[in-house]
Amino acid sequence: MTAALLFALSLPCVVSPPGSESRAALQAAGVTQLCAEADLAGREALPTPGTTPRPGVASPTRSPWIVASGWRFIRHPETKYVYDVPAGKAVLAAAEAFAYGADAALKVDAADARSLGDMLKFLQALPSVDLPAVADLAIVDDGSAAIGEVMNLLARRNLLFQVVQAASPRFPINITIGTPEYPRDQAADPSAFALKIRRELGDDKRALRVYGSEVVICRLTGDAGRARLHLINYGGRDIEGLRIRLRGTYAPGDAHVSGVGRVPIEDHVVAGGATEFSLARLTTYAVIDLNVARGF
Amino acid sequence: MHRRSFVRLLAGAPLVRAFQLPSDTPPLRIVSSYAASAAPGMPGPYPGRVISIKSDKCVDTSTGAANDEIVREMMARGMCALTGAATTVEAWRRFFEPSDVVGIKVNCGGYPHCVSAYEIVAEVVRQLTGVGVPVSQIYVYERFQNQMDEVNYAPHLPAGVQFVAAERANRNVDNGGYDPATYLEADFFGEEDTRSNMMRLVSRRLTKIVNIPNMKDHGATGVTGCLKNIAYGSFSNVARTHQRGKTYTYSVVGALAAMEPLRSRTVLQIMDGLRGVWHGGPFARTTRYVFYPRQIMVGTDPVAIDRLLLDIIENERRAHGAISIWDRSPASLRMDDTRARDADPNVNIIIREPGHVEYASKLGLGVYDRKRIDLQELTV
Repeated sequence: MTAALLFALSLPCVVSPPGSESRAALQAAGVTQLCAEADLAGREALPTPGTTPRPGVASPTRSPWIVASGWRFIRHPETKYVYDVPAGKAVLAAAEAFAYGADAALKVDAADARSLGDMLKFLQALPSVDLPAVADLAIVDDGSAAIGEVMNLLARRNLLFQVVQAASPRFPINITIGTPEYPRDQAADPSAFALKIRRELGDDKRALRVYGSEVVICRLTGDAGRARLHLINYGGRDIEGLRIRLRGTYAPGDAHVSGVGRVPIEDHVVAGGATEFSLARLTTYAVIDLNVARGF
Repeated sequence: MHRRSFVRLLAGAPLVRAFQLPSDTPPLRIVSSYAASAAPGMPGPYPGRVISIKSDKCVDTSTGAANDEIVREMMARGMCALTGAATTVEAWRRFFEPSDVVGIKVNCGGYPHCVSAYEIVAEVVRQLTGVGVPVSQIYVYERFQNQMDEVNYAPHLPAGVQFVAAERANRNVDNGGYDPATYLEADFFGEEDTRSNMMRLVSRRLTKIVNIPNMKDHGATGVTGCLKNIAYGSFSNVARTHQRGKTYTYSVVGALAAMEPLRSRTVLQIMDGLRGVWHGGPFARTTRYVFYPRQIMVGTDPVAIDRLLLDIIENERRAHGAISIWDRSPASLRMDDTRARDADPNVNIIIREPGHVEYASKLGLGVYDRKRIDLQELTV
């Protein structure tokens, strides 16, 4: 049974209309803070996160199209959002919103009550960390749909960007659509445009690389002393042996994996100014906290 | 932990400089901490030498069933001829000792009609145990467990032989069976995952490998023989090298095969030519393109064997009026249309790269020049 079960995730604070069967189901699952239908007014609707195959374009299992909203959260962090997701998608939506600190409400299927409750407990139990987002490049937001699609394609390639209103000397690459370097007609093919930017930046210089999957999107935050990496798995299947490369030198740390718990990262190496490690198993979502290492 | 790695850009290595790669080939970055052995298994002690053992009796072409006794005899004759040993066990002792941990790289992709024959795999196991290698130190391996399950070698082999696959299936979700520190890195088509990692079993457990490919046509490489089977069958994420009619297998097959420790540990090539596939490979879902070369080739040089395989597949295609494996005509190309390819042997889905065999010779993996290949033909 689908019901208007709503909750806000800017913090794990959830409110629901009183009296519904679903409210009881959510409460039984440990989802205790529910919001009201009236709270949805003025919220921007988000697509259901996940993947869709692209027959004839790429193998559906290797490089599917990812539907993700992280780029929207980065572009408009002040906006309030709402997901209306079918059964099986509440957990992913909750993880996505949490990873970006978005103010999002969810309309979920009652069948997801238990898994959603488990995810919220997991999110609530995570150590509180507030670090600035890491970005390799800046995008000057002209407010157009075209630049939004470029952001979308950059995000799904794990090319970390910051949205700015004017070019910033802090970044080696500033993307302003309509300039000779980034003509508007090139941006009309966002995938090719994102690839061009990736190659301008150079893979070795990227703050983050992901190996072993093309359906994991990450958000990286950090400062001079530590980093937090969020990993969101949009593929719907657990991934084993995911390999991560972070620019910088980090000591071995632990991963908090939804549905699994706290586990050490594996095969940690530091070489060439970067740190690599593996995650034995990624379910829907994981958070990895790392401290900058001295003496490597 | 620090890692000492041997990192090199293949495109810039002196070894390769004399051989011109296509101008659009991206640099191939090789990362491995393994040094080559004093005498790498490929091309091994017999570069350019191939023993071909033929028998009209090895397969009943009306049923496809192999004759176990004939296969044993073919392999025994071949191994003795290759090594000059007086007995079979002596021949196998040239390659293996009881302390070895031996991998048998089978090919299961052509199930049900053309996979590494049970009879050949069983004979390899029998000879290894005859040398003194415990069955617990013998590993039959492939990349995908679901393919190994279909073929199901276990009932044909002694209890205790190990079966290892790196992934449950070709779904790109389980990478735990691969070595994160041993890989080839290249950006071919703008894919995000730019690494192909060697199987952990190969890099961290095995001391020797026996390679048992089949005689098959291949939609990207022209043929899939010793080089393709050991290279693309021991690394992750290799399908990314072909896309939309284009393939980089020309250079990548050899580059992977030449990576340590795979190159040093692959000491014996046994080409299973009991059955073959002349079109639609590497798959063999129907018998339409199956043929019966009825031979086994043994050697240590994968390039020399594959050079002969090029002719075998080309000749069989010619006999059926099919386009050459060397055909690069756009008119033959139906990009990604596997249905059209399966229906018509004059359709390519990719511009094939049979030149990968010659390229591998430039990496030192063996002898390509037909005039320098010492082919000895035996009949059982």
